[in-house]
Amino acid sequence: MGISQIIFYMLAAFTLLSALFVVFSKNPIYSVLWLILCFFSIAGHFVMLNAQFLAVVHIIVYSGAIMVLFLFTVMLLNLNSETEPHKPTLLKFAAVLSGGALFLIIIAAVRSTMPAPYVAPQLSEVGYVKNIGMKLYRDYTLPFEVASILFLSAMIGSVVLAKKERFN
Amino acid sequence: MNTLIYTACLGLFGLLAEIFNLRKYLIPILVLGLAVIFSLNLQTWNNPQTHFNGMLSDSNFSTAFSGLALFIMLIILILSGDFYTSTDDEKHISDYMAILMFTLCGALMMFSFSNMAMLFLGIETLSISLYVMAGSRRFEVKSNEAGFKYFLMGSFASAFLLFGIALVFGVTGTFSIDGIGNYMRMHADKLDPLFIVGMLLMIFAMLFKVSAAPFHFWAPDVYEGAPSLITALMSTLVKIAAFAAFYRLLSTCFVFALGKAEIVLTVSCAATLLVGNLVALVQDNFKRLLAYSGISHAGYMLLAIISLQGRTDSALFLYSVGYAVASLAAFAIAITVFKATGTESISGFNGLAKKNPLLAASLTMAMLSLAGIPPFAGFFGKYFIFSEAFRNGWQNMVFVAIISSIIGVFYYMKVIVAMYSKPANEFEIKPTFAYQMVIAVCLIISIVLGLYPGVFTKLL
Repeated sequence: MGISQIIFYMLAAFTLLSALFVVFSKNPIYSVLWLILCFFSIAGHFVMLNAQFLAVVHIIVYSGAIMVLFLFTVMLLNLNSETEPHKPTLLKFAAVLSGGALFLIIIAAVRSTMPAPYVAPQLSEVGYVKNIGMKLYRDYTLPFEVASILFLSAMIGSVVLAKKERFN
Repeated sequence: MNTLIYTACLGLFGLLAEIFNLRKYLIPILVLGLAVIFSLNLQTWNNPQTHFNGMLSDSNFSTAFSGLALFIMLIILILSGDFYTSTDDEKHISDYMAILMFTLCGALMMFSFSNMAMLFLGIETLSISLYVMAGSRRFEVKSNEAGFKYFLMGSFASAFLLFGIALVFGVTGTFSIDGIGNYMRMHADKLDPLFIVGMLLMIFAMLFKVSAAPFHFWAPDVYEGAPSLITALMSTLVKIAAFAAFYRLLSTCFVFALGKAEIVLTVSCAATLLVGNLVALVQDNFKRLLAYSGISHAGYMLLAIISLQGRTDSALFLYSVGYAVASLAAFAIAITVFKATGTESISGFNGLAKKNPLLAASLTMAMLSLAGIPPFAGFFGKYFIFSEAFRNGWQNMVFVAIISSIIGVFYYMKVIVAMYSKPANEFEIKPTFAYQMVIAVCLIISIVLGLYPGVFTKLL
């Protein structure tokens, strides 16, 4: 077992544990904090896969920006276990059943999947900004530009919905 | 491709109009622009091309559906002039118009995508714009509820779609629909289980987007709460765009895997037909009624997709056109009635025949077309799908579909009965000129298509 394998198993165990803590924490603030740790360990996986740029972006965007937003939302809403509405047992049962079924199917599919159906080329520079930029602006120009329509629409939408105006 | 670029430019123009104080002329300019784009779109007919390394590809299929989408948006814009009249609406009109244009961009991407990245971006552009529009009546609780519910459910479905795309990519190593299709052709006898899971997740997400049972629960609430004009948009443009994308997905990437997904699609189709038509029987709210009617129409279109052999695309197109014009006419009349009576329940239509016989006759025609009664386009759309499905050995499903369309006639009749035999209420109902034009044009198209369905059956 090489050093990278040991790191992989440690990272994987940590990712799973922190993800479990996200679900099982009573306090939503703790959940969010565990989620940040989970994202960090996923960024570790990206580094292991030679995707350095993706790892950095993942940390900046998810652990940084989005999680701060989450924290603010949780704090502003002042969620805690007392105010949380009690969900009916039937609903819980159905959710556990369907979630568990999906989990089981995916596990089964991964187990019986053919060995290494697609092997990514293991170049050490594959995750550099330069190479990603080449790919993004040469092969994926259109999705890159079209995404701006999506963001523009979302931006206008948030302004339309959230701008404070007097009711008349 | 060019259609998409021009439409995006039109959306940007809508935003800039606010700065240059062109708010008053905005809608006429956009209508004109869409009409120009509509004619430019025809140039791609019989001129298949691939753009940007196989991201988008124009085909007759995409040209036909883009034309239909442009037509629907044109109608919606004409209707919006007399719909957005309150001061709050007038303040936001350029934002609304820009978002509507971007919605159209999303739909155009969904008609011509040939890469999963474009499919996802198209669906998201369409959906995110609509989440906003559904909640755009900010001071009405129902509208807030609609926007929020649509947003939560829709993002959940998008997550499924994304997960499915990721799994399929993991197995095939490509995002291109031709590449995935090639992979399937080579491994058709021994498909990777992970691929099947990915494919099913994508199919579930698409079933959600077309509001097929058992993923239909969001539709009635969202349709009811959203502003009526946006409901019209959702039940026509969005449904048709989702179906076109679904068909494109199934006919290119997953055509060899249909055996695995057939049972899922068949069960969903039968459930959609029955649930949509049966639940619609007990609705009192006209928008909810049309929502359930939309669900049942999704069932007929699903039937066209399942019996996917040969002429499905023209059957789907004919059905979409018939459904779209009838729905638009019904919504144009409904908006007029809602505005005059202040209620959205079917009782608002009571005695319409005595007060405005022409309007009542128009609504009757729209309802009959939706129910699938000749000589309207709705009938031939259905007839074409049923006969194709029957020929391809789907007799049982055709039987279910015929039973459910007979059930369907009842609730469409409910509206007609309310108009003709209930005592009239005191409100005066008269559509504005733009609405009269829209209703007339839609019904004329419906009748012409019903008399000469051959125009579209041999089109694609």
